[in-house]
Amino acid sequence: MTQKGRPLLEVDGLVMRYQTKKGEVSAIENVSFTLHQGESLGLVGESGCGKTSIAMSLMGLAADNARYHAGQIRLDGENLLALDENAMRKRRWKSISMVFQGAMNSWNPVYKVGDQIREAIDLHFNPRLSEAASKDRMVRLFEMVGLNPTMLGRYPHEFSGGMRQRAVIAMALSCDPKLIIADEPTTALDVIVQDQILKELKKIQDQLGMSLIYISHDIAVIAEVTDTIGVMYAGKLVEYGSTLEVFQRPRHPYAYLLLSSTPSITGPRRKLAPLEGEPPNLLDPPTGCRFHPRCPFATDKCVVDEPPLEDLGGGHKVACWHWDKVPVTIGASA
Amino acid sequence: MLKYVGKRLIQGLLLLALFLALLYLLLEAQPGDITQQLIANPQLPPEAQTMLRERLGLDQPLLGRTFNYVVNFFQGDLGLSFTQYPNTVGQLILERLPRTITLFLTATLLSYYLGFSLGKIMAWKRGRSFETALTLGGVAGYTVFYPWFAILMLWLFGFALNWFPLGKFIDVQEWTGAAVTANQLFIQLLVTAFIASFAVLAIHIVSRRLSSEDLGGRVRSIGTPLVIVAYVLFWWFNPNRVLVGDLLHHTALPVITLSMVNFAGVMLLTRSSMLETLREDYILTARAKGLSERSIRDDHAARNALLPVVTSLVLALSFVIGGGILTEGIFSWPGLGQMLLNATLLEDLPLATGTLGIIGILALTGHIIADVVYMYLDPRIRTSQ
Amino acid sequence: MADILTAPPVQPGEAPESILQEPLWKIRLRLTRRSIAANWKLFVSHKIGLIGLGVIGVFAVMAISHPILMSTVWDPAVYHPVTGYHAVKVDKLVVDVVNDPTTEVDLTTAQIQSNPFIEVGDTLSIPQQPAPPSLGVRAGIDRNGVEVSASHILGTDPLGRDVLSQLLYSTRAAFFLGMIAAVVTVFIATAIGSISAYFGGWIDTVLMRFADLILLVPLLPVLIVVSALFQISLPLLGLLIGLLGGFGGTAIILKSQALQVSVKPFIDAARIAGGGHAHLIFRHIVPNVLPLSFLYMMFTVTDAIALEATLSFLGLLSIPMSWGIMINVAQSQGYFLSGTDYWWLLIPAGLAVSLLAASFFLVGRAMDEVVNPRLRQR
Repeated sequence: MTQKGRPLLEVDGLVMRYQTKKGEVSAIENVSFTLHQGESLGLVGESGCGKTSIAMSLMGLAADNARYHAGQIRLDGENLLALDENAMRKRRWKSISMVFQGAMNSWNPVYKVGDQIREAIDLHFNPRLSEAASKDRMVRLFEMVGLNPTMLGRYPHEFSGGMRQRAVIAMALSCDPKLIIADEPTTALDVIVQDQILKELKKIQDQLGMSLIYISHDIAVIAEVTDTIGVMYAGKLVEYGSTLEVFQRPRHPYAYLLLSSTPSITGPRRKLAPLEGEPPNLLDPPTGCRFHPRCPFATDKCVVDEPPLEDLGGGHKVACWHWDKVPVTIGASA
Repeated sequence: MLKYVGKRLIQGLLLLALFLALLYLLLEAQPGDITQQLIANPQLPPEAQTMLRERLGLDQPLLGRTFNYVVNFFQGDLGLSFTQYPNTVGQLILERLPRTITLFLTATLLSYYLGFSLGKIMAWKRGRSFETALTLGGVAGYTVFYPWFAILMLWLFGFALNWFPLGKFIDVQEWTGAAVTANQLFIQLLVTAFIASFAVLAIHIVSRRLSSEDLGGRVRSIGTPLVIVAYVLFWWFNPNRVLVGDLLHHTALPVITLSMVNFAGVMLLTRSSMLETLREDYILTARAKGLSERSIRDDHAARNALLPVVTSLVLALSFVIGGGILTEGIFSWPGLGQMLLNATLLEDLPLATGTLGIIGILALTGHIIADVVYMYLDPRIRTSQ
Repeated sequence: MADILTAPPVQPGEAPESILQEPLWKIRLRLTRRSIAANWKLFVSHKIGLIGLGVIGVFAVMAISHPILMSTVWDPAVYHPVTGYHAVKVDKLVVDVVNDPTTEVDLTTAQIQSNPFIEVGDTLSIPQQPAPPSLGVRAGIDRNGVEVSASHILGTDPLGRDVLSQLLYSTRAAFFLGMIAAVVTVFIATAIGSISAYFGGWIDTVLMRFADLILLVPLLPVLIVVSALFQISLPLLGLLIGLLGGFGGTAIILKSQALQVSVKPFIDAARIAGGGHAHLIFRHIVPNVLPLSFLYMMFTVTDAIALEATLSFLGLLSIPMSWGIMINVAQSQGYFLSGTDYWWLLIPAGLAVSLLAASFFLVGRAMDEVVNPRLRQR
């Protein structure tokens, strides 16, 4: 968060719920954050905490049964939620592109990888790029992500997992988006490839100066690529701040427990504190603070009153009544 | 790719030989051997009996006789028909083969084209009442008792509405004094249709090779209708126009009826295949790329949903052939199926088994074509060959 | 793998008897009951399956009702589906020129049918076939020429036989045939599939190539030719359909299922525990393949019903009465295009074949959602 550009993405009081037969499932509860140009934000939390719902809302691809009850998603000041499907379609990939969870299957098996990238380029460049220009662009993209450009003429099944993921990143970059959302892009890969790709992603992001939202359940991975971290629990943003701050001095008990349950190789030896209990049932979320059933610091107040997202200074925000009781973790670095 | 096709062809020939061998064993297994009656004729002197025995290959062991039968079949010698002597089975089959192939091919293409187009829309519009109605109609069409359905179709369109003739191949009155026979004209019709489709295919291949995609598209969109118009005009100004019209008029209802029933199965299958494809991750990617609904549906989802549908062609062949035989029988449309039925009812065994053998070859050919088409459509198989 | 009719494999050798608090059969029974209950719940969540089951139930009642009706209210001389005869008499006016054939008859015909002295204006009682449906009491003559009265809810066929009686009788035949075909298919396909998957190697190759061949050959023309060579009765037809169905597609599908089971750890465990080939196949692989084979049993029944009706319709089978024969009779007696005029000749039988085949198909589709692991994970 050293040099701030103008605000690129502003999510403001977003509330989204899924309409199901059993009732409303609360997926995103009053989430707000701002992302500046060139900045990277990590969203971390357990599965089902609403991170992917946020990503899908940003893309305008939330499931059919999703209902927005409040809030705005502004990209360059324009409210995306107010756009119709046609207008939104023009923004996709051009303004915001995405690297998906399980990118292994992101490729259509019957088309060549190059043709699938070209499809996006043909659609979003106005005037249309000439055949040679788009070919040239794809070659540069492939070189950027460390792939041999001859692979453009190959089919997805001829790529290894790591190569497919690199190609997905190349495709995400193909239309010069202002923002890339990466949703658990490395989960299915082995650790070494995972690390290579993370570094590659970080490098490209710095190089091209675009913004990045990185979504993962693994806080260590997030710390490696992002400037800012948002910790989500049960559809709410419970802690938000610079990566360094949150990582070294987590103030929310959930963030604290998440970090304590992650072993650190470089930091001092410490006992791992497991996170106990089950994620809440979002059909009927707990009252007050949603974390209270699993929280070691919970009091009666937590059961009744919902803590607001409070600024502790320096942009470090936390939603907890007892943030001052959370111990200070020392030296947990990635 | 050629290697793969070659491999499939050799496999197919082996399977065919095995099928013919089994067919012959079936003939041998029947109670009351017909050849025995010929030989055991007391009026024949013993030398003649031996000669006959040798000629029929009856002195050989079972394996040799089976081998003989298979070899003869491959050489095109299918024996003599009992009921239509002196016609050989080969001649009779050859006369009717083009008709049956036309019926099977048109019905298959029509039902697959329509079934696939409708099935993909059904999956796309899941949950609408139109989808429910089509699904119910599809199940009804798929499970309806086919001969009964065909009779009702014939009654409705041939009798009650009087749109189509009541079966048969031609209207004899129209053809009295005609310079050509129905079969000649039918073959002409087929050959010209073949040339026209070849022209369309050529246009497509050439236009894809063109440097500019726009020019290619224009060549396609002008060339294809041009060929079709030329084809129609050619027959319109043909001196035998009325006769051709009569042929087509008689062929229409059998083709429509057979297509309708096959269509239901294809539609249901496409729907479920498409529903599975729509859940795939690459569909989400396609959406995220900002592609139009139409492009997502047709280029991405339907293109993949097509694969299991092509595989199903192998299973559907049996269905098409069975349905085709019944259609020919019910509409008295003189193809191989009708001949098989008549031969069976008259116990003309050489004709019946010969026809069955040819139908087996048709099934096998369809099978191999479906395999090759699948290979062409699925790069995962194509590139591994 | 979910089982419909079998409990998950709990084997006597796998757990020491001493730690079991209750007899093994009780545990098995409970597990079976629980698994049936769970699967039933899944099954009934699909409406199509329930509809299919309901229709099958109706047909089952029809099948059972025939022998009961024959032994109570129906006189076999009139109502027997094959040999019964009842000519309904209709009074017609003798006229010179017939305007309405249902109420009038021309003089020549009348003279031939009764006596040469009949005159225009007289009324003549003429036996009418096929007789239209009636609920009331209709006078007529049975095959012995005795005057009887009877009602035919679905009319009579062109030979004076009661259509309803034929319909009910044929239902029984259809169930009988379907059952034979299904049992044979399941038996063969499960055996071939399990053996092929378990042993692999050349056994697998030979069996699967053979299955390919059977799959390739179109069933209907083969059966048509076979029927020219041999007399085919109903049980034989069931056997044939079962054999061909079981050796072909079903065997291939069950083999791939058995293959998935045969690599599971519990197979290895049982093998290490000293289980022989037969034990492994019958106690472990077969129970896991069975649910899927019951599913294909439903589709076999659909095929069997349609095939029997088709072959009967073509007049190629030697069986006394079936839905296909009913249509065959109507057609061969010239009521081919009777359409709505003689609807009772074509509609009930055709509808019965279609409905019963469809309902087994629907039950199969619903079962598919229950036992097919691929569909189930949704």
